[in-house]
Amino acid sequence: MRRIAFLMLLGLATSAHAQFRLPSFDINKLVDTVKNVGKAVQDIPEPEEIEIGQDVASRLLGAAPLVPNPGLQRYVNNVGRWLAAQTERPDLPWRFGVLDAPQLNAFAVPGGTIFITRGLLERMKSEAELAGVLAHEIVHVLQKHHLKAIQKGAKTALAGDALGAALKDRGGAARDKLISFGTEMYSRGLDKSDELEADRIGVVIAARGGYDAYGLPSVLQTLQAMNAEDSGVALMFKTHPAPAERLGALDKMQAMLDAHAGQPQLADRFFQNIKR
Amino acid sequence: MRTLLLLLLALPLLAAAEPATLIRATELKQEPATDAATVATLPENAAVEALQRKGGWTRIKAGASEGWVRMLALRFGGPGEAKKGDSGVTQLFNVARTGTSGAQVTTGARGLDADQLTNAQPNPAELAKMDGFAADAEAAASFAAKGKLSATAVEYPK
Repeated sequence: MRRIAFLMLLGLATSAHAQFRLPSFDINKLVDTVKNVGKAVQDIPEPEEIEIGQDVASRLLGAAPLVPNPGLQRYVNNVGRWLAAQTERPDLPWRFGVLDAPQLNAFAVPGGTIFITRGLLERMKSEAELAGVLAHEIVHVLQKHHLKAIQKGAKTALAGDALGAALKDRGGAARDKLISFGTEMYSRGLDKSDELEADRIGVVIAARGGYDAYGLPSVLQTLQAMNAEDSGVALMFKTHPAPAERLGALDKMQAMLDAHAGQPQLADRFFQNIKR
Repeated sequence: MRTLLLLLLALPLLAAAEPATLIRATELKQEPATDAATVATLPENAAVEALQRKGGWTRIKAGASEGWVRMLALRFGGPGEAKKGDSGVTQLFNVARTGTSGAQVTTGARGLDADQLTNAQPNPAELAKMDGFAADAEAAASFAAKGKLSATAVEYPK
């Protein structure tokens, strides 16, 4: 049942234009849309999705290494892995890493690798806030937002080389271009609709994990209080809708948020684990 | 004394009173609940001080009154209007990176700004290290149980 709901959601989310043109709800058309979306995504099979993700993750780690604190890294992996277990892709090789960078940001890499920066972690006030951000990133992986963007941009990025060749030959020049393109994407950002979708589904995943569902909205309020010109948030603000817009969109989910607002925030456990 | 106590309670979730405004006319409640007594009705754009969050509610001070409003009715300073200037975190970081360590210097400018992302080179050693920190499903479930987190059925939004 959850899987069906997810497929329907996937169809709705990725074919908003098609949906708006429908005169009335037509289940057959919806099923067709879901099938087409499925087909397009299958162009990059899961093993290659994971492989591409590892190569992109390696580049991101080249930009900023992990915070040298094994306890902290394991803590963030526990929170993230628990959230991933509440989703439709529980068996991906989920990895969570805290990058040693002062900027406030988080990245989702295809195949199940999620990064959060030390700068963002240091502004958080509870495990529920951390869970909210990780859940947002997990949605990017579930919905294959980056993978689809890589696929869409592959034609230009590969300049003549076929995507098939780039997928087959891990060490080849075409693959290298694909990975470079996939890494640069984090400086350009995803579509705004992908980010808002990650917020909407992310708060649900945090609530499923038993956390206070207001964790993500709370982080967004913290970000909103910061100056967009601040170099610590410049890239994140450039690649995401403004926090006020994201909070406004979540306002529509108040009933769901309130139903799960009394769940644990785990502020104490959070502070015990983030200090060195 | 009572104020001091409130401030202490607020500390873990809100480091200090943060200036904020209301994005709509809002009822100030005595307790963080819809059915709690209404202390006052605050107008749109009212300037308040946010003290503490509890679930979907934030305790605020508005003039002489204190009480709770829906957290989503609050907006902290918007981009550009809030804290002026740069916190300087990245400058400090770059100095540290290119400082005395020769090893750091030879790796070039690292960090997560747009240019640095574009020019990033693979770091397989860190990737392997990250694999070593992974949690399996069983460990994560026991971690969740220790925090009294229970998996809950929640539908995705339509």
